[in-house]
Amino acid sequence: MTYYEKKPEKKFFEKELVDYRDMVWGCARCNWCQNQWGWNVKSAEFSEICPAFHEFRIFPYSGMGKMHIARALLEGDFDYDDAPEMLDFIYTCTTCGACEMNCQRLQDKEPLKVNETLRAQFVRDGFGPKPEHKRLITGVQHYDNPWMQPRSQRDRWARTVPIKDLGREPAQTLFFVGCTAAFNNTLWKMAQSTAMILHEAGIDLGMFGKQEICCGSPIARIGDRETFFTIARRNIDLIHTSGVRQIITFCPGCYRSLKYDYPEVPGLPKLKPAVYHAAEYIAQLIDEERITCHNTVPLKVTWHDPCHLGRHCGIYEAPRRILRAIPGIELIEMERIKDQAWCCGGGGGARAAYPDFARATALKRIAEAQKTGAQALVTQCPFCEQNLMDALAQVQNGMQLFDLNELVIRASQKTKK
Amino acid sequence: MAENKPRKVVQKRLPREVYSALKNVVGERWIYEQRSVVETYSKLSIEASTFLRKHEKDPHLLPACVVLPNSTEEIQAIVKICNRYRVPFIPFTNGQVFCAPTNAQPTLIIHLSRMNKILRIDTENLSATLQPYVDYGQLQAEAMKRGLWNGGCPLATSLCKLASQYSFAGLWQTDLKYGLLNRNIVSVKMVLPDGEILVTGSRCIPKAGDFWEYGPGPDLLGLQRAAAGTSGIVTEITVKLHTWVGDASFPEIPAGRPSLVDVHEPKYDSPPAPLKNHKLYWIEFKDFQSQIRAMREIAHAGIAIGLNATGVYSAFYCSQTQEMTIQRCRTKFFPDWNCYVILANITSDQQIPYEERVLRQIVEETGGIFLSETHKPEVLDALKPWNYDCIRHTTGFRMNRKMYANAWLPVGPLDSAFETTEQWKKALDLFGECDITDRGGADDTPFVYALQRGHFCFFETDNYPDPVLPEEIKKAQAFGIYGNAVFVTHNLGPMLMAFLNVEPLTTMFPEVGPNAHLLMRKLREVFDPNSVCAPGRQVFTEEEWRQFPEDIKAAVNKMRAMHNLPAVV
Repeated sequence: MTYYEKKPEKKFFEKELVDYRDMVWGCARCNWCQNQWGWNVKSAEFSEICPAFHEFRIFPYSGMGKMHIARALLEGDFDYDDAPEMLDFIYTCTTCGACEMNCQRLQDKEPLKVNETLRAQFVRDGFGPKPEHKRLITGVQHYDNPWMQPRSQRDRWARTVPIKDLGREPAQTLFFVGCTAAFNNTLWKMAQSTAMILHEAGIDLGMFGKQEICCGSPIARIGDRETFFTIARRNIDLIHTSGVRQIITFCPGCYRSLKYDYPEVPGLPKLKPAVYHAAEYIAQLIDEERITCHNTVPLKVTWHDPCHLGRHCGIYEAPRRILRAIPGIELIEMERIKDQAWCCGGGGGARAAYPDFARATALKRIAEAQKTGAQALVTQCPFCEQNLMDALAQVQNGMQLFDLNELVIRASQKTKK
Repeated sequence: MAENKPRKVVQKRLPREVYSALKNVVGERWIYEQRSVVETYSKLSIEASTFLRKHEKDPHLLPACVVLPNSTEEIQAIVKICNRYRVPFIPFTNGQVFCAPTNAQPTLIIHLSRMNKILRIDTENLSATLQPYVDYGQLQAEAMKRGLWNGGCPLATSLCKLASQYSFAGLWQTDLKYGLLNRNIVSVKMVLPDGEILVTGSRCIPKAGDFWEYGPGPDLLGLQRAAAGTSGIVTEITVKLHTWVGDASFPEIPAGRPSLVDVHEPKYDSPPAPLKNHKLYWIEFKDFQSQIRAMREIAHAGIAIGLNATGVYSAFYCSQTQEMTIQRCRTKFFPDWNCYVILANITSDQQIPYEERVLRQIVEETGGIFLSETHKPEVLDALKPWNYDCIRHTTGFRMNRKMYANAWLPVGPLDSAFETTEQWKKALDLFGECDITDRGGADDTPFVYALQRGHFCFFETDNYPDPVLPEEIKKAQAFGIYGNAVFVTHNLGPMLMAFLNVEPLTTMFPEVGPNAHLLMRKLREVFDPNSVCAPGRQVFTEEEWRQFPEDIKAAVNKMRAMHNLPAVV
């Protein structure tokens, strides 16, 4: 494949490493994959953007390094037996997409997609993934969730929440909860507050409950395409059978999967209902005054952009609009925000296989948040919240962590007289 | 039947005792010799010859080992080990240009990525002392908070490390006023190739302070400057700071931010108006002569902090996609003959209005037209990335969507622009184009920097072959070598030859003296008695010269023969 050769139209999940040959040869070592976009640098301390390079300081952890590894593998310069260590370089990546963001702006190259294609090749060839990832895949294959939790427990979060079970009665809107918040009871508040807000706004809301299956996002990121394709097809069938008109999810992984990954799977029917992230949907409800934030929440906060919500899907403003709509909230921005946001360290399977690295990355984000003078870090992603929560427990610096919708609930709840 | 597998490229290994000695210095975490690690340090960036060597599966491109020291002392210990065991080493930062090819011996990479701290910013004496992995963007961000800045940013982007640029020359967009980086260095602390420490300038006098580049005795800083990493490893560099009159940080970009799903939306490429107390003017000219004349007048008038011409390169810098770039080249969307001028209110609020009046008069006299709301407003709008980039350059490598294989980089008086452009056009006619970007970068305009008040200029025309096609890369390489020959033949100014692994000026230019390369060899022997520091770059020992590819040797000697110089043996 040469640079100007007309490339066959392929969906992302059809692509092999060879489809990126011109790209991996053409990497210019400009190093923007490791650094904040130049116009955004506000300090020396927070000038980098790749969590893995920042931690380990050697090139194979960077987007550029992976392009070079991919080139050498593609040309047969070495193979798996010669370089078993590369499994760690490829899987430490949090798939935050910062490398690809900057590289695409500069050179039209896609280091994250190259890395994900490397992962897919590793899985196909039996070289990968990491044992910790195999457990996630097994979980999805056998339990419909990566955490190996029984299906019967999936709807426990909803016992106190007014929401329809689509297995029993129809609804216009599917609330796609996702596995992490459904099974981790410290994250139930995310699902509960979102459902409560939507219910209060009069949305006809239903869930799949015990029948919900993983969106497949962790599996796609790990590189098990076959399992992901199966999951995607099952989800589309389930959703279409349910007859819902729209889907709302607060999990950026689920959102990205349903909205942007499924269309990239070859041979799948198009998902008919529109897919919304809770932040954009609730921001719209606030604009339409279907939700009113009348209670004051006196808090200095800073917003952490989840990578799969912001950089991957372009939702930067909606959560900020929500925060600005809450009386008493003072939003103070960190240095690295929006497309240049620093990852929490929890994505792409990094937390499962490299928990120390994931925590170290979260600690760096917390340090950045603390420099703003904010009392609380606010975000909306179960992976980010889980990872940041662990790091906060370690550092114990008084910084609070909120899910965005927890604050909306506080601001919008009617005071009992 | 044997399976037809591609040939593997196998790295060399350091002797175990060397590896152990190095591990003792940096610790187990910071030493690597795994195959996939060394691959990412085997030069493959923007230079034709190593791309070809990669295509040919040359194992000598692979280093044997990578170490990541964290202090001057660790570097000193590493270098001493290298001398003791005669192990060649290559200092490494981004690894884009100055990372010499490794050679037949197992070679060590000393990656400086852990040494990334700004050690001090002296607001009284206007200087900053940096570790070698600090880049322009970091320094500028910190200095701006204190009402200072370092005076410029290379067009090769703000990611360049200052300590690496010291090995080059340090070309800035604002060096009309501030000069090249090499005019802005106060001192360096470096580990010499034999492991000794050298401290230059006034800093080497106890208690004298770090304020002046000249120390007692000969100018050792000058001797080390622009040595392309062959003279040792900079572990601390002190640079001058200047007054900054903009805001404490760059403002957020109001147009919003792109994401991976809409990164190429044109709406995301419009930064705001020029920075506070700065103003950027774009001027179009009817021909190259008018452009050069205007640039000379502007430079000599003493106004402005930056004066450069981008020519067709704006199509690369300011377009969202490769298709858009090519389209803009073809339709000549950006003016062929142009320049941009950066004015700043440094002395007073009246400085820009005064200098603008001078500028307007010069432009009128030279027949130029300002891009404005009434003259090509759509072009002016498309050029807005420069509002930031002229001060902290970010988008530069957009030009490099394929690969950046070679360049003609002459330096000379402004008048030499005409001759160099003519020669480039002849070369294109002779070799044929690799791509539209060649022709665009040459026929229409080379990049022109007016340096140091216009005392001299730097020109650039580039070459972009397809990285997966060795034949195209060979053609680009031949282009570069031919360029050297042309400049020698026509006695054009010396040029920066970072992209050619051939001996530089000392071998080629008769004015330096027929045997200047021998003097340089002697100097190298003094500083690097064991020939371990970045061998194969700049100045060669006899042994290294013997190892050189025969065709390169022949090319160099052919050029020398043109000037009746004896062959290098």
